[in-house]
Parts: sequence; C-alpha cells; structure tokens
Amino acid sequence: MLLFKDLMWFFKQEKKGYILGIIVLVLVALLNLLPPYVVRVIVDEVSRGALRSESLLYWTLILAGIGLAVYALRFSWRLMIFGAASRLSRLLRKQLFDHFTLMSPQFYQKHRTGDLMAHATNDIQAVEMTAGMGVLTFVDSITTGGLVVLSMAVFISWKLTLIALLPMPLMAWSTSRYGTMLHNRFHHAQAAFSDLNNKVLENINGMRVVKAFGEEEAELEAFRGLSEDVAAKNLAVAKVDALFDPTIQLIIGLSFFLALIFGSIDVIHGKLTFGQLTQFTIYLGQFIWPMLAFGWLFNILERGRASYDRIEKLLKIKQTIKEKEEALSRFNNGDVIYKGASFTYPGGNTPILQTINVRVEQGQTLGIVGKTGSGKTTFLRLLPREFDLNQGDLQIGSTSIYDVTLESLRSKIGYVPQDSFLFSTTIAENIALGKPEASLEEIHQAAEIADIHADVLSFPEGYGTLVGDRGVTLSGGQKQRISIARALLLEPEILILDDSLSAVDAKTEKKILESLGKMRVQKTTFISSHRLSAVEEADLIIVLKDGQITEEGSHRELMALKGWYAATYRRQQLESLLAEGAEH
Amino acid sequence: MVIRRLLNYLIPHKKALTWASFILILATFADVIGPVLVKVFLDQHLVPRSFDRGALIILASSYLGLNILSAILHYYQLVSFNEIALKIVRQLRIDVFSHVQNLEFKVFDNTPAGALISRITNDTEAIKELFVGVLAAFVQNMVFMLGVFVAMFYLDVRLACFCLILLPMIIILMISYRKVSTKVYRRLRQELSHLNAKLNESVQGMNIIQALRQEKRFRREFQTISNNYYREEMVNIRLEGLFVRPAVDLIYTLALVMVLNYFGFQSLTGPIEIGVLYAFINYLERFFEPVNMMMERLTQFQQSFVAAERVFELLDDRRIAPKGSSVDSPGISQGEIEFNDVSFSYDGDKGAKVLKSISFTAYPGQTVALVGHTGSGKSTVANLLMGFYPVTQGEIFIDGVSLSRHSHQELRSKVGLVAQDPFLFAGTISSNIALSRSEITEKEVQEAVSFVQAEDFIGRLPQGLQEPMGERGTTLSSGQRQLICFARTMAGNPKILVLDEATASVDTETEEAIQKALRKMRQGRTTIAIAHRLSTIQDADLILVLHHGKIVERGTHAELLAQEGLYYKMFMLQHGSKEKE
Ligand SMILES: Nc1ncnc2c1ncn2[C@@H]1O[C@H](COP(=O)(O)OP(=O)(O)OP(=O)(O)O)[C@@H](O)[C@H]1O
Ligand SMILES: Nc1ncnc2c1ncn2[C@@H]1O[C@H](COP(=O)(O)OP(=O)(O)OP(=O)(O)O)[C@@H](O)[C@H]1O
Ligand SMILES: [Mg+2]
Ligand SMILES: [Mg+2]
Repeated sequence: MLLFKDLMWFFKQEKKGYILGIIVLVLVALLNLLPPYVVRVIVDEVSRGALRSESLLYWTLILAGIGLAVYALRFSWRLMIFGAASRLSRLLRKQLFDHFTLMSPQFYQKHRTGDLMAHATNDIQAVEMTAGMGVLTFVDSITTGGLVVLSMAVFISWKLTLIALLPMPLMAWSTSRYGTMLHNRFHHAQAAFSDLNNKVLENINGMRVVKAFGEEEAELEAFRGLSEDVAAKNLAVAKVDALFDPTIQLIIGLSFFLALIFGSIDVIHGKLTFGQLTQFTIYLGQFIWPMLAFGWLFNILERGRASYDRIEKLLKIKQTIKEKEEALSRFNNGDVIYKGASFTYPGGNTPILQTINVRVEQGQTLGIVGKTGSGKTTFLRLLPREFDLNQGDLQIGSTSIYDVTLESLRSKIGYVPQDSFLFSTTIAENIALGKPEASLEEIHQAAEIADIHADVLSFPEGYGTLVGDRGVTLSGGQKQRISIARALLLEPEILILDDSLSAVDAKTEKKILESLGKMRVQKTTFISSHRLSAVEEADLIIVLKDGQITEEGSHRELMALKGWYAATYRRQQLESLLAEGAEH
Repeated sequence: MVIRRLLNYLIPHKKALTWASFILILATFADVIGPVLVKVFLDQHLVPRSFDRGALIILASSYLGLNILSAILHYYQLVSFNEIALKIVRQLRIDVFSHVQNLEFKVFDNTPAGALISRITNDTEAIKELFVGVLAAFVQNMVFMLGVFVAMFYLDVRLACFCLILLPMIIILMISYRKVSTKVYRRLRQELSHLNAKLNESVQGMNIIQALRQEKRFRREFQTISNNYYREEMVNIRLEGLFVRPAVDLIYTLALVMVLNYFGFQSLTGPIEIGVLYAFINYLERFFEPVNMMMERLTQFQQSFVAAERVFELLDDRRIAPKGSSVDSPGISQGEIEFNDVSFSYDGDKGAKVLKSISFTAYPGQTVALVGHTGSGKSTVANLLMGFYPVTQGEIFIDGVSLSRHSHQELRSKVGLVAQDPFLFAGTISSNIALSRSEITEKEVQEAVSFVQAEDFIGRLPQGLQEPMGERGTTLSSGQRQLICFARTMAGNPKILVLDEATASVDTETEEAIQKALRKMRQGRTTIAIAHRLSTIQDADLILVLHHGKIVERGTHAELLAQEGLYYKMFMLQHGSKEKE
C-alpha cells in the first residue's frame, strides 16, 4: 500500500477520474447482484405457473437494461481509471525527460543511456500498471470481497463468518512477506533489464568497431550472458510470484475447512439449517476470487513500487549546475576573464586546471594549444558551465558567469565541441538546431562561412538530406563543418571552436578561418587546436601543460620565447621543409 | 504465420511443456476433487448424521492433504510455465541480437539505434506474456469449453444449438477486435520505438541541446511523441472497453434474456420442464466462463502478437552483410592490396558515385597514403577495404584473391583499422584494448600502449590500465580516446594497417613519436594512411590524391610536388605561412 501513498499526489491530481471511476466500479458490482435476482423471480414464477406475459416482458426488459447499463458503466470506468493511469505514465515520462534536460555532463557520465531509456519505458510501464490495474484490483477485491462477507454475516451467521475469516491474518502476513521479497527481486530484474538495454545500445553504437575487430561472437556471448541474467532474475521474481495464488488458495481451503467443521457443529446443534451451510460454502467459493485479486494487488503494488523507487531515485538527483536565485537574466558582453580558475573533475583527485589566469579582451581571439590531455577542452567547457569551477572565478564583462542565468550565459556562446554530434534529421535542421526559426537564407549563409554549402548542394537532396544516427552518413569533415555552421548561425558574442577543424583539410581550414576573421569583428573567439596554423593569427595564445599555463603571448612572442610552442611550430614546419628539401 | 513461428519456439521445450501441462491438469484435478470431498461429507455424514470417526479423519486429512498438494502442484506449474516463457524470450532475444550482428551497415546508417533497441529488448519483453499466461489460459479454457459443449449436447440439443449460435457472435467479436486492435497496437509499438529513439538521441546529445538552449524545444518534441503514445493507449482502452470483457458480458445478458423469454413464452401456452430451464441458465453461465477468460487474455495476446510481428520483421531483414567464404579461404600472408577499377555508391546503383574507378596497388610492406579534401571519399576506401560495404563495381584483391573470397575471420585478424571516430566500450582501458581477443596478453596490451605513447597518461590514472570507462569513454580527452583506439588496433599486430585520421586529435609530438614507431615496424606490414596533415604521410611510397571520388594525382611526395597540381597546392597552403616568416 506504500506505493498508493507515494502516488497520492497523482491520485489527488486526477481526483475526479479516480473517484468517479471507483464509484462506477462499485455501482457495477452492485448492479451485478441484480440479474441473479431477476432470474430467480422469473424462474419462480414459471415454476409456480404464475408467469404473465407483461411481467415477463417487464423483467426481461429490466435485465436487458441492466446489461446495457453495465456495459456502458464498464466502458466508462475503464476510460476513467485506465485513462488516468495512462496519464500518469505520460506525466512520469515528461518528468523524467524534463529532468534529463536539467542534468549536466556529470550525470551522463554516471548514467548510461540504455539505463535511462529503460527507466522511461520498462519502469514507467510497471508504475502505470499499479495506477490502473492496481487500483481496479484494489477496489474490486474490496467491494466484491466485502459484499460476500457481508452477505455471509447478514444472511447466515456472523459467528461462522468470523471463524471462516480466522485464517485471513495469515494471508495478509504471507502476502505482505511475499511482497517484500518480490520488491527486491523485481528491483534486480529491472536493473538487469537496464544492463541489457545498455549492452544493446553500446553494441549498435559501436557497430563499426564490433565489425572491424570481428567482435560479433564476443558481443553475442556478452549479450547471451546478460539475457541469461535477465531470465534468471525474472525467474527469481516468478518464483515469488507463483507463491501468491497457491498460498491464498491454501488459506481459503483452510477457511473452508474451519467453516465446515464449525458449521456442521452448528447444524448438529440445530443453530443452522443444512441449506444455510450449503449457501455458506457457496459464498466462500465466491470469496476466492477477491482474495486472489488481493494477492495479485500486492504483487502489482510491489512491482510498481520497485520501479517507482528506481524512477524516484533518478528524479531525486539534484541539478549540479544551478542558477543563483537572484541570477541576472541580462548582462553586458565584455572581456572574458579566468581568475585563478582551478578545476578538478567531480570524483577525481588530480586537478585538471590549476589557478588559470587569462584575460581575453572583447573581440579578440584566444588560441589554446597543448599536448593531448593537457586540459584544453576542460578549459573551454567551463565557460558555458558544463562544469563549475572549484576555485576562482570566470567573468564576462565584469560579471561572474555564476551570477547570471544559464539561458543568458549560453545565449552569448556558440560552442562547437570537439566531438561533433548531429541529430538524425536533415542537414538544414541540424544547422538550425539552435535557432529553429532561421530562414533558409541564414542557414545557407552560415553554411557558406563554414564552407559546407557547396558540399551540401552536391547531395541529391541538398539541405533536406537525412544524416542518419549521429550523422553517420556524412564524412568526418562534413560533420565538423555542420557543427560549426550550427554555432555560426547564432552569431554568438563568444565562439568556441574546440579542435573543430581537425578533420578538415588545410585549404578548407584556411578558408573558414579567413571568413571567420572577416565576419566576427568585435566578437570574441576561442580556438583550440593541435595544428598551430589554426591559432597563429590569434591575438593571444596560451600553452597548457598539465593544467597550467606555461607560455602565453602572441605568435611572434611565443616564437621568440623558444619554448614548447616554438618547438612544435618548427616541428610542424620542419617536416615540410625537409620534404621540400628532398625535392630540390 | 506469426503465431506459428512463435509456437515453433516451444518445440525445444516440448518436454518441459508437457510436464508443466501435466502438472497443471493434475492441479486442476485436485481443485475439482476438493468440492467433491465436501459433497461427500455433507451428503454421507452430515445429512444422515453419521459421524464415523475414522472416516471423518480420513476425509478431513485427505481434504487438507489435497489442498496442500494442489498448492504445491500449482506452484510448480506456475514456475514451470514462467521458466519456459523466460527461456523462450531469452532465445528470441539472442536470435534477434545475433541477427543484428550480421546485418550490413546500411541498416545501421538508416535505422535509429533507439528503434533497434526497442525491438531487441522492449518488444521481446512484451512477448513474454504470451507464454506465461495467454497460452495456458487458452488451452485450458478451450478444453473447458469443449467439456461444456459435450455436457450441453448430452443434456439438451436445443440448448447446445443455441450456444452454437452464440459462438459465431463471439468469434466475430474476437476477430473484429483483433483486426482493429492490431492496427492500434502496431501504432502503439511504433510510438514506443519513437520514444526510445528520441530518448536515446536526446540523452546522447544533451550537452549540445543545453549549449544551444533547446531544452524547451526537445521537451516539447518528446512530449509530442509521448502524447501520441498516450493517444494510442487511450484508443486501446476504448477498444478494449467496447469489444472485450464488457461486450462479452452484454452478450451473456442478452442471451439470458432470450432464454428467459423463450421459456417464459412457452410456459404461457403450456407447461415446461423447469429442470431444463435451470440447466439452461446454469450452463449458459458455465459456457461464458471460459469465453470470458479467453477474452480477458485477448488483449495480452494482441500485444504479444504485434510485438512478435515486429521482432520477426527485424529477424527477416535480409540485408545481411556478406560473410565471405570460410571453406577455401586462402589466408593473408603477404598483405598486398589491389583496388581494380572500383566504383561505389552508398545508395545502390541510383545514388551518386562516391568513388569512381579507383585503381591502385599497395605492395607488401608499402605505405599508401590517401589525401584529398574532406568528403572526397577517403574513408569510403577504408570502409570498402574493411568489407563494411559490399563492392558492387570493380574488385578489391588482397594477396591476389578477391576480398569476398577471404573469410571474415581472416580479414578481421589481418586487417586492422583505426577509424576516424574513436569509440570506446564501457569497461576498462585494458578491456578496450584487448577486446575479446584472448591471444592478446597483458604484456602485449602494455606494448600497444607504449607504442601509441599512451603510457604516460594511463600511468597517471588512479587505476592505470584497469581504470573503468563510462559510456563511450567520456572521462578521457578526445586525443586520449583516439590513442586507445590506436592501441587496440596495434595490439592485434595486423598485417595490413588502415589508418583513417588516426592521430587527428593528437598533438604533434605524440604523433611524431607514433610515426617513428610505425616506421620501425614497417617491414612486413602494408599501411593505408589517410591524413589531412600532410606532414604525416610525406614518406609514403605512394600518395593518391582523391578529388570527388576520383584519383586525380598519384606518386611520391616529391613527384607530386613537382607536378605542381592539387597536392602541391594543398601542401603549399598548409605550409604557406612559413613564406611569411
Ligand atoms: N554511410 C554513408 N551513407 C551514405 N553516404 C555516405 C556514407 N558515408 C559517407 N558518405 C558520403 O560519401 C562521401 C565521402 O565520404 P568519406 O567519408 O569517404 O569522405 P572522406 O574523404 O573520408 O572525408 P573526411 O576527410 O571529411 O573524412 C561524402 O559525401 C559522404 O557524405
Ligand atoms: N569527464 C572527465 N572526468 C574525469 N577526468 C576527465 C574528464 N574529462 C577529461 N578528463 C581528464 O582531464 C584531462 C584533460 O582533458 P581535456 O579533455 O581537457 O584534454 P585536452 O587538452 O582537450 O586533450 P585533447 O587534445 O586530447 O583534446 C585528461 O587527462 C582527461 O583524462
Ligand atoms: Mg580536447
Ligand atoms: Mg573520412
């Protein structure tokens, strides 16, 4: 019953539907008592030979009327109760999805996609079951069970009824015990399903690797193991599940037994007629179904609760990237300042950035270079607040980015992540992702600057080309440039290009950088790159090493410094010189 | 058809099924005998007041014993049916998953991953119900119904005929429900698959969605799909209300009305047998019991049926990737690669050609480099060489034998690819490098790691090689991920190495060190290298310049520069800056 309490907020919300539905349910149960009565009346009259055609017509019309009424009522409670349950599942789906949209990368590092999907499908289904079937079974078993008990007590003997009900506490105890067992096992079964989902998703996402390395067999083996696990965990559930019905039947059998013994004694003592005892056993027979339903109810409830717990657990996870209450929704653009910024990834213990101090004046371009894993991406991710600093501050203009709303902060920034991600729609929609209302012209313009326009036009379907899951049907460079066009379309005050030209050839890179320079006057740009040619023209270049700035300055200054930058630059040049030397 | 195939899955469990059914029948018997004992007690003991102690004890203990026996039998019966159902679902899952492993890439290019998952896990899950409850209930109730009919014919032919008239009505009801609801269930499952696809994509692209502040829009879009799902569910509830339980009850009531009227009016003209009327009413109710039970399960049946339809649809997808022959696979010993006039289009014959008449030969031990603007078809060459897509025009030879004649196994072990997009599995760094190749020792993993210059950063991770990786390895930097993928390929020590922008996200220093290491191991390994940074491929034996899918220039670095063609231009561009200095 705990779950009913947990779901009270929803029942309250759907008060009308549930109350009406329950009333109708009870009404149906009551109406269903009538046909046997009508039949009895008619049969009695027939047997007495007293039947008249009017009364026959009268009674059968009533019977037909009841039939139709019950039909209509049954239809309507289904609509009300199951409809409400269906709305609950829709609501939970919405809550989950809305919650997902609030979660930062930290959350997604911990929770795998397949698992999240399982929550939104498999678990919600179990909860929906509770809110529909559960409620129905609850009401039904109580009304029909109650009616039977009432009839027994009123028409026959309340003492005998009490005796017959004696084993019921045993039933309550055992079903609730089974319920607890079921709860845990079902929880595990649902978790196993999540794992299965994760595996399938990973397998499909990584199909290229799977095929390239001939991992099909191994993948199948792993999948076999997981589905074995799902089956085993579900069997464990089934083993508890199968306890309910036989136990209840056994206990009812016991009731029967007691009723017969004590009933017979009463009959012998003349306190009860033989007919009454027979009727009593018939009533007891009718009692079986509501009791089975009662067990079934526990079953559904515990499943629902296990799943609801899982959903709740996700929903309870707090947003890590939060706005302050008095966050400004408007602020002026200006210099971007990293002030003593230090950062360690949550859960990690090595600082990735250590007291970084940089000032990028408005309109300037900052180049970020450094070895693999030196912290370039981390440096850039902090600006749109994918993660928050541990120490120090990050300012735009002279406003701390932690004092403004996420909306206003992110609306200033066009971020092209290192790994381009496309959605499986058309190219046009992918470019216009951040500005769905953009005109075709604007899209073309952005594509032009990102030097992808001509490529797109060469496709048979042009901008209407579907790009497949994650953009698989495009080449690496095409994907990257579409991501760039996507950011450019927003004409952001601050543009972040995180190694976004790595899959692009030199000619294209040069073209893009040139058009960027022309277009982005008075706008700030961050570029990280391994190819130093991409940052050469930057106003300021920083070299990161193990999370610290080791060199800083313009290209000319850094060359003069003869440090890592100069060495790398020369290295990138030297090879070409050498090669050319070979030619002459 | 679908049902037949589903039933086929029962065949391996014939024995268990027979056993379970047997126990079910036994349990049902025990259930039936219980009331008989009660009747015996009432008729032979209570009414005549003959309370023979011994007989009573036997009666009582056999009643209780029967109850316990029935409970135990029911328990076993339930568990056995569940076990069979779970085994079948597991088998179905494995079948469909293994089928998916064999599909060609085009399927994955065009099908959202979420939609595939929906079929492999959710739809198979929905089939379970069929074997747990539906099947047993149908069989059991059919038998019941037959029994009722036999009894009715025995009792009164009129009565039996009357019920026979009801039967078609009920069957029509069932058929029409099935007809309408199949469509609705199809749409429902379809919407579920949309939900999955949308969820998958949104979750994986969430950082983009957030960066572009499109949370509201995606919520709305998700809500739309969720609403569609809800709408179909509501249609379903209505259908169920109109056609299933309530409708059967209505038919029952109407039949009752007819019977009463029939007898009633007859009784107006003459006397009737009251016993027959009783029996009529009684059996009518009996007749409707199994009908109701079956109707109750019909919705579950429909759900399972449609889900099965979808699973079989995927199982029947014949777009299987060619496997190559395994019988007379000649084996790859030299590593000579020849492209002979290969043309290729991703969309079959009608689509635009991505590659046009590509011909070249990479001799054993050589390095052939592919350069060209983005989208010129370089990765496609690698894809074809890996056998990801079947070659339709021209032919590719490895060691003089057509690619399609090499066995899958041989190709996978001898040809190693470092793909453009690094992909890591959840697991550890070590498991990502070794994969399932049991022949790769820990030492070889270590060597591969130092080969790609990754030991430095791995050494700094708290658990080193055993560091757990989350989904797609997002806790590493892009370059680090690429290095691990590189190491994965090197660990297999492939005869033919295909590097598709293998070091694009890696710094120059590391890249150079890898180049040096590669050069050292050049003997006996043929390399196909794709790179935008021309510096990395200058010492290739052959450089092919691709332009719009055609090879427009070929030669060594020096030769190409001397030609002053496209390569020269690209090269000058990349290193143009030095002239300024
Ligand atoms: N799976 C696919 N389905 C359909 N078209 C594809 C597919 N993969 C690539 N293409 C198309 O084929 C063309 C060549 O792509 P390919 O990936 O071979 O280019 P590339 O030379 O590797 O480019 P890049 O340097 O950007 O990686 C592109 O126009 C691309 O859109
Ligand atoms: N989500 C994360 N959790 C924990 N550690 C992380 C996470 N992301 C990155 N790291 C670690 O932080 C360090 C810096 O990573 P970052 O991605 O900033 O490097 P980078 O300079 O961008 O490298 P690359 O040139 O390869 O793109 C790396 O050692 C990496 O392993
Ligand atoms: Mg990076
Ligand atoms: Mg490519």
